[in-house]
Amino acid sequence: MIDWIQENWITIVVPTVIFMAFCIVGLWARRLLYNRLDKLLIKSGWGGREILVQSTRGPFFFWFMLLGAFAALKFSPLSAEAQVLSERIIGSIFIISIIWLLIILTNRLLNIFLDEIKSPKPPGRLITNGVRVTILLLGVLILADYWGWPLTPVILLLAAAILVAAIASRDTVLNIFSGLEIAAGRTIKEGDFIKLSSGEEGYVTEMTWRTIKMKTPDQHTIIVPNSKLVKETVINYGRPLKRASKPFHFYTRLHLKELTGLKARNLTELVNVLKSAPDSVIYYHTHHFLEEHQFLTPEPANDFALWVDDSLDEHVLAEKLANIDTFAYSSLEALKSMIVSVIKKYMADNPASRLVKGENDFHFLKSNSVVVPTPYFASDLREFVEVLRKITIDSLYYHIFESRLRLQKRSNDFSVWIRDSFGEHDLADKIDSLVPYTSTIEAMRSFIIQNIEKRIK
Amino acid sequence: MGPDVISQFNNKIEEYQPIVGKNVIDELRLLGNHLAGKRIQNVNSTFSGGGVAEILSRLVPLSNQLGIDARWDVIQGDEAFFDVTKKFHNALHGREQDIGDDDFEIFIKTSRKNIDEMRLNADIYFIHDPQPVMLISRKTELPGKWIWRCHIDVSHPNQRVWGFLNQHVCKYDAAVFSAPAFSQELPIRQFMISPSIDPLSDKNKELSKAQIEAVLNKYGLDAEKPMVVQISRFDYLKDPLGVIEAFEMVRRGFDCQLILAGGTATDDPECAKVLGEVRNRANGNPDIKILLIPPGSDIEINALQRAATVIFQKSIREGFGLTISEALWKSKPVVATAVGGIPLQIINKFTGMLCHSVEGAAYALKQLLGNPEMAARLGQNGREHVKQNFLITRHLKEYLLLFIAMDHESDIIYL
Repeated sequence: MIDWIQENWITIVVPTVIFMAFCIVGLWARRLLYNRLDKLLIKSGWGGREILVQSTRGPFFFWFMLLGAFAALKFSPLSAEAQVLSERIIGSIFIISIIWLLIILTNRLLNIFLDEIKSPKPPGRLITNGVRVTILLLGVLILADYWGWPLTPVILLLAAAILVAAIASRDTVLNIFSGLEIAAGRTIKEGDFIKLSSGEEGYVTEMTWRTIKMKTPDQHTIIVPNSKLVKETVINYGRPLKRASKPFHFYTRLHLKELTGLKARNLTELVNVLKSAPDSVIYYHTHHFLEEHQFLTPEPANDFALWVDDSLDEHVLAEKLANIDTFAYSSLEALKSMIVSVIKKYMADNPASRLVKGENDFHFLKSNSVVVPTPYFASDLREFVEVLRKITIDSLYYHIFESRLRLQKRSNDFSVWIRDSFGEHDLADKIDSLVPYTSTIEAMRSFIIQNIEKRIK
Repeated sequence: MGPDVISQFNNKIEEYQPIVGKNVIDELRLLGNHLAGKRIQNVNSTFSGGGVAEILSRLVPLSNQLGIDARWDVIQGDEAFFDVTKKFHNALHGREQDIGDDDFEIFIKTSRKNIDEMRLNADIYFIHDPQPVMLISRKTELPGKWIWRCHIDVSHPNQRVWGFLNQHVCKYDAAVFSAPAFSQELPIRQFMISPSIDPLSDKNKELSKAQIEAVLNKYGLDAEKPMVVQISRFDYLKDPLGVIEAFEMVRRGFDCQLILAGGTATDDPECAKVLGEVRNRANGNPDIKILLIPPGSDIEINALQRAATVIFQKSIREGFGLTISEALWKSKPVVATAVGGIPLQIINKFTGMLCHSVEGAAYALKQLLGNPEMAARLGQNGREHVKQNFLITRHLKEYLLLFIAMDHESDIIYL
């Protein structure tokens, strides 16, 4: 062994010296280059400076080492075949290091770039993984070419894989492109209240390049793919309005008709039963016509007026009863007293009371109300309007008629909330001034919506 | 057999949404959520035939779709029992019936057998009509609420039969009637729930022009001539002779045709007699067509109603008279007598025309034929009225409210 070293020491020392020289030059060049590069990048103010410098410092020196090894090989005692193989290995390591660096660098730089995009939030992981895979595939192709492997089958395989991936993720791709379109348009922002032509509506809580998340008035979160969003007609009502400290919770009132078993065949019997009738009976006979025939022309008479007219032929009394303004009474007890006093006065003036025609007795019914909370809440007037559009007429009845008269609140529920939550006295008064007995329920709905929309425009 | 009948009903609750609106279906779901898992056992006397079976075959599966554990069972009985219940049914409707002590004995004997054998296990027992009324005897051993649903017009009942039933009805927690006039003096709570029509059924679904024409061609009817139609059984109580008389009064001034279409009950000899009289009365008048429609011809009835210019229902006595709602649903102007449940469906001059005599019927018909705009407005109002008050979704909603109300005494219930 010692003999061999004595004979060949020069073939060992020379490559070692060459390798060492490249390492020293590499260290020197790195210091020189990076000092200048750092100053240049600091001057440019580019955010990726630190990542670029830190990520490439190590590999830069490593490449000089590889260069040193490559040069040293030329003076090594290895056979020609071994030298070629070694050169290929060094070349491969170089290619791999470049790929590895590119992956690290693009990953970190992309993260900086993507973090700067606030809305819609890009699918960061998807993009970085996509770039990573692309660079890796390119690296594999370069390596294969470098080693002289046949590329055609590899390229075909890759093309097929890309095609399959593209087909499988076409929706995602479509959503991402749609997200780009939305981002470029800048017409929708987080916090906006939007309404899609397909019916979905609510405040935008999160935007990504694939989807938009919305919080609906019935407290659901709905996720709309961007590709759907760009196809729909979207009304953007803009930023949230003033929020109420206590949201308005919409209820609905459904009623069940209960038969009392009581009936009347003439005015005397009618008055006698009426005197002791509970509120639920008075409510039923002064409101059910309105509810069951809400599509008809306004101002329907109460049941007493109808019966007196149709079954007793007491037309004058019927007119007097029909003319009682239900809206003028703040309690059903007061309304009942008025009805009774009108009938009694008529009976005093017209003692010859008539008996009912045929079998058309007046049957006293009462209304059993079942009050059910709906899933709808409104925290501002925009949400309020949108919920108003979709609630049932039963819900409107509950908040406008029942709360006011039967539950003896000073006003309808809507006006109370609008006044107390926003100090919108004019708007609340306008809704309060609506006489619910002289318009159809749908007309009332439109009136309230129009007035609120005018206010929040 | 029950599950078969139910499984034949394929409609999903969502299918009613385009007709009644999303908010109505949402309301049903809200109520369904409050009753989720509640066991409702419906009991009547048959799985097929008759209005009760028809409505249960729809309401039970729809209730199940809302999360309610609704079931349907029938009582068992022999021919003698059902002969007696038929007599009871007629007597409750106010018809003269020969009912003896032995009839009551048959009823009690079969009822006792059902009381002993019937498997009852529910939170609410919903007993339909008089046949199973005695099941209430098991109330003491079975916790739960008991409701008696009366589908019959008992405004003028035979007092002996009603007195017998009354002793059982009084033990229920509540009774349900279809119209205010049908209610009785009872010591229990009484609710009013009107019957309903199913807009998706063969009798009421939309038909194409070709389907309607096919039916008109089948019966040789002239589609170009205004058509006055009455669809009902050939029965004195439906007054077909009065309809012909009113039509003849109108025909002098209006070129139109009358179609009297209906079936005859095979077990009712009176029907054949009435049909004979109607044929004789119409004899020689080419503008009067008498059509015998076989049972189950729902699409044909639908087509005739849709082809009609004016629909008549000149009944002398009527239960609820759902044929009125069927006609109104098709936006047809209707002339009907103010009897039974008809005034609930026809608000005079708003949703149709009410009359009290042959002359009144003729006058109303003239008004409608002579004023198509008015006829169209009444038809439109009528459809809206039915949409709001006489569709199966409203019926289902009120049943759900009834089940909720059984746990509450107050007039206002907060859920």
